[in-house]
Amino acid sequence: MRKSFLLLLVLGVGLAGWGAAGVLHMYTALDVDEAKIYIEAFQAKYPDIKVEWVRLSAGEVLARLRAEAANPQASLWLGGPSDTFIVAKMEGLLAPYKESLGWQYLPGKFKDPDGYWVGIYTGFIAFASNRDYLAANGLEPPTSWSDLLRPEFCGKLSMAFPYTSGTGYTRLATLVFLLGEEEALALEKKIAGCIHHYTKAGSAPVTEVGLGEVAVGIAFSHDVIAKGISKGYPVVLSFPKEGTGYEVGAMALIAGGPEPELAKIFYDWMLSAEAQSLFKKWFRVPLNPEAELAEGLITADMVNLVDYDALWAAENRDRLVELWQVETGY
Amino acid sequence: MPAELVLQKLLKVFRGRGKPVVAVDHLDLEVAKGELVTLLGPSGCGKTTTLRLVGGFEFPDGGEVYLSGQRITHLPPQRRPTATVFQSYALFPHMSVFENVAFGLKVRRVSRAEIRTRVRDVLALVGLGGMEDRPPSKLSGGQQQRVALARVLVIRPEVLLFDEPLSNLDAKLRVETREHIRRIQRELGLTSIYVTHDQAEAMAISDRVVVMNQGRIQQVGTPQDVYLRPENAFVADFIGRANFLDAQIVGKTSEETEVELRGGARLRVAGTFDFALGEAVKLVVRPEAVDLVAPEVGELRGEIVLAQVTGALAHYRIALASGETMEVEVLGALEKGVLSLGTPVGLRLHPKTLHLLRG
Amino acid sequence: MAKGRGVGETRPLFSFSRTGLGRLFQDPALLLVVCVVFALVGLFVIYPLARVFLASFVHRGTFSARYFLYFLEGRPYLVRPFVNSLTVGALVALLGTGVGFVFAYAVTRTDIPGKGVFRWIATFPIISPPFLLALSAVLLLGENGLITRWLFTRFGLRWSIYGLPGLVLTETLAYFPLAFLTLEGVLGGIDPALEESAMDLGASKLRTFFRVTLPLATPGLAASFLLLFIRSLEDFGNPVVLQGRFPVLTVQAYLAITGMYNLPLGATLAILLLVPTVAAFALLQFWVGRRSYVTVTGRPSSAGLRSTEPSVKWPLFGVVILLSGIILLFYGMVVYGAFTELWGVNHAFTLENFRYVFSTGATYLVNTLKLAGIATPVGGILGIVIAYLVTRKKFPGRRLLDFLSMLNFAVPGIIVGMGYVFAFNTPPLQITGTALIIVLVFIFQRMPVAIRDGVAMLQQIDPVIDDASADLGAGFFRTFRRVTLPLAAPALIAGMAYMFSACVTSISAVIMVVSAKWQLVTVALLHEVDNADLSQAAAYGVVIILVVLGVILLMDSLVRRVLGRGRHAR
Repeated sequence: MRKSFLLLLVLGVGLAGWGAAGVLHMYTALDVDEAKIYIEAFQAKYPDIKVEWVRLSAGEVLARLRAEAANPQASLWLGGPSDTFIVAKMEGLLAPYKESLGWQYLPGKFKDPDGYWVGIYTGFIAFASNRDYLAANGLEPPTSWSDLLRPEFCGKLSMAFPYTSGTGYTRLATLVFLLGEEEALALEKKIAGCIHHYTKAGSAPVTEVGLGEVAVGIAFSHDVIAKGISKGYPVVLSFPKEGTGYEVGAMALIAGGPEPELAKIFYDWMLSAEAQSLFKKWFRVPLNPEAELAEGLITADMVNLVDYDALWAAENRDRLVELWQVETGY
Repeated sequence: MPAELVLQKLLKVFRGRGKPVVAVDHLDLEVAKGELVTLLGPSGCGKTTTLRLVGGFEFPDGGEVYLSGQRITHLPPQRRPTATVFQSYALFPHMSVFENVAFGLKVRRVSRAEIRTRVRDVLALVGLGGMEDRPPSKLSGGQQQRVALARVLVIRPEVLLFDEPLSNLDAKLRVETREHIRRIQRELGLTSIYVTHDQAEAMAISDRVVVMNQGRIQQVGTPQDVYLRPENAFVADFIGRANFLDAQIVGKTSEETEVELRGGARLRVAGTFDFALGEAVKLVVRPEAVDLVAPEVGELRGEIVLAQVTGALAHYRIALASGETMEVEVLGALEKGVLSLGTPVGLRLHPKTLHLLRG
Repeated sequence: MAKGRGVGETRPLFSFSRTGLGRLFQDPALLLVVCVVFALVGLFVIYPLARVFLASFVHRGTFSARYFLYFLEGRPYLVRPFVNSLTVGALVALLGTGVGFVFAYAVTRTDIPGKGVFRWIATFPIISPPFLLALSAVLLLGENGLITRWLFTRFGLRWSIYGLPGLVLTETLAYFPLAFLTLEGVLGGIDPALEESAMDLGASKLRTFFRVTLPLATPGLAASFLLLFIRSLEDFGNPVVLQGRFPVLTVQAYLAITGMYNLPLGATLAILLLVPTVAAFALLQFWVGRRSYVTVTGRPSSAGLRSTEPSVKWPLFGVVILLSGIILLFYGMVVYGAFTELWGVNHAFTLENFRYVFSTGATYLVNTLKLAGIATPVGGILGIVIAYLVTRKKFPGRRLLDFLSMLNFAVPGIIVGMGYVFAFNTPPLQITGTALIIVLVFIFQRMPVAIRDGVAMLQQIDPVIDDASADLGAGFFRTFRRVTLPLAAPALIAGMAYMFSACVTSISAVIMVVSAKWQLVTVALLHEVDNADLSQAAAYGVVIILVVLGVILLMDSLVRRVLGRGRHAR
């Protein structure tokens, strides 16, 4: 009897007692399947560095950095719109890294002037529609924000919460830049009335559209292509003609992270042409001009972009989110 | 003899939902070295609680317990030199007979070799030699009881506590085992407290009997004392059975007391009592201390109103001429022939067994 | 001895040795254990909870009841989740109790065939991760689910499983087993002679049911209603998948913390959740507890069961078959989904999802097993120690310890997790992000069940056996280790098997404390669902179920072996 207890205890303690040297802890707002592409490539190149990572939505990464401010658990934050990074920088959650060559070569609008974050790709807010649903109902994909409210789509929309998801907040801020605060919130309220459900993750609506769970979703264009179209889902990509918002997807070192040196190795590598060429697998627009581009890539010159002020968006994040909550009740 | 164990004004109150219950009410008792004292009383009289206070399983709300002059009132059981034989034996079901008996020795860090000899000796003493490896579940009730006894004897306690140890045995085995316990207790000279609700058992094995009711001591004395000289009606009725007849003191000598009963009959009672002439008292008559005779020769007269035969005993209820009723037991009923209902009878009382109580 | 003496007359005004505390000092080992247990419960149950309360009243460093005022003002993002949670809770409690009663009645009061199978099926949702039902609901009844599509193509019907209907459906299936188990005990404890004598006195079958059986089962029905109400309110896994546009408190509280790190908002939502659950728990303890007039003897008296007439038996059998079929269908769908290429688009057979689970998910699986493996023996033993203290020992604060250690039974997991984040995020007790915090959450969230099991097993052991051990000189530790523990071992092992599976399948509390280093398999599953990668999620689900079943079978055989040694027959 006693032996079996001891056995259990020994088993438990023994299992607990392993660890490895050279572990880099990372939060990523990239999709699990996508993050794996880069991380596996990195590990192939640096076999002695083991990357432990968690996928969280950008807002969740921010929340977690706030929660762990006194005791950071990860060293690197990979992916997610720059406005979330700006908020984090303002709250002192990031560490600067101006020494990185990649940061130095990048044009000013794609990086933090003080080196707290660096852009790695850009993406555009887009509509994803289920082709079968459109065909069955004789519809065209939506090409305007107001199309979302059409009765054929009403109740069949999916998009991310602006507080958990960088994609969600980029959408909200885009509408504010396009329509002004009051009208933007009024539109969001009407959309909330037509929503099927809000998602936590920004790219989740794409799969839902692909599966036919909803008719139309809002997400970044690269996610629509990578998670929808190229996976074989019946997904159609379209953009609002009034103008759409965009993100500069970013990366940063976390202030006080446990393994800053390993994080810098990853940081430098992620800015290389070699790493950024991998973006073509996910149809992202790389910021390293030497990186290879995917075929059929959507680039900035192909869409009508609003004047997106990431700094303003960052400074007004908490206020807009609270207004949005009061307005929509979610 | 010096008092080994002293209980002083022990008080135990159980507070649950509803009214608090005073289980032990300011109990004073002294037990001499080597003495076996029985706590006797009906269930709920506080006798087991008293025992548990001595064993350390409960702690008193007032009063003290002294052992050999040391105050042990608040010591937990494992730090008291007392040992208990429980009603349910409380043998460890996952241990063999040997392991059960050796348990207390292992706790005391006795060497292996000594454990082996002491366990063997004590098992021989209780007549369980060769049963070492059996699990308790493979023993009879009587054998289990003896393992429980061996288990406490082996640690040589200063005080042995018995909590109704025989109540789970059948009647025959009970008599056998109580003799066995008494013999070992005498041989080893162990100071003991023995709880039982069976008055015959108490009478048979005790040096002194403590009769308890509602948390209080009713009488302390030798078995003979409490039987022949009960101090109150409760004791009289609990130790054996008793009839209580109204009486009045009419005469006193240095050896006898004379009383008059209702209806005018006069009787002599052996012994002197602290009653004044003319005082109203109760005459205590044991049912078995009455002879049924012809109506003319009886000290009292009456008529049979109930007759039951239980083996050797005939049990009668007799309506006395005075209007009172008496229970009477007659031995050898079958030889003498059973009296039928309505038979007028005379009663002759044995003067030495009569007793007087305050009215 | 003079009569009528006052009870406390001879008591000194104050006596150290007379107080319970003084007595405790006589038994240093017990004193030590009591102190340690109080410290643990205080630190890991009460303190985190207190931090949640505190957080709801602090906004940006100053005292503020801001969100409570917003709630009273009627701001919809606070009021809607509250109303929604209560609505789902009431409906699930009602339906779940009803279904549980039908099952329990069929199993204890009729002679339908296949009772063993039904009992097994009805207890299945207890050992599996409850949110698997939500996943399955999406696979079957989602906008693009198998049944939905079939209904649409055949009949042109369309409806949405998201929101209220989905939550009520999945939570009813997930939690009715609790009602079943409660009512099986209650109905099994009703002597059939009562029903027979009612009919003997001329009452009709129906009248007997309504006038005898039902009233006797009423306390059990009330208990299971409250139990299900609590479980539904604190459910996180199902609503996080299925709430749609019907936000409930657990999910909103979770989003407020993990999505925004808005502590006062999250804490306020948590307290809105805590009030009804604790109220229901109090009702369960004090009201239902006292009104139970069924004496549960512990042996269901199925011996005197008479045969049931066909007019009752077969319809009941049909209902039970139907419900069991639904449960099997739901779980079967998860297995099917796990082997499909891309749910909703390409249902070709593949093993790819399992390859994925055992590569990407391997770390999470190992983490889960490792941490649950540590938490289970520690929690199991702590549970039985507390059970031992509160049932067998007398010391000041015993009732308090009893109450405090059972508190987490009523505190929703999401609040437990939230409290741990608040409490252990800063020095000196900075353990967020470590494995330790997850282990602690496992231990203290599951402790009430371990204690309840412990109390049940101790009731099987005569307390006099402990007395005997102490009497022979053994102190607290030796008595516990040499006597109580070996006797309780078979039950303890069985209890630990369930504790282990509860840890492996738990999500609501741990989702708040997982970290980059320590991610768990259930959380990974939820991420897959979030991302609408249903086939991969299903594969995770299948693996979790297999692990849990494996552990339970293993422990079961261990118990059999231990019992087989035959030294424990009593």
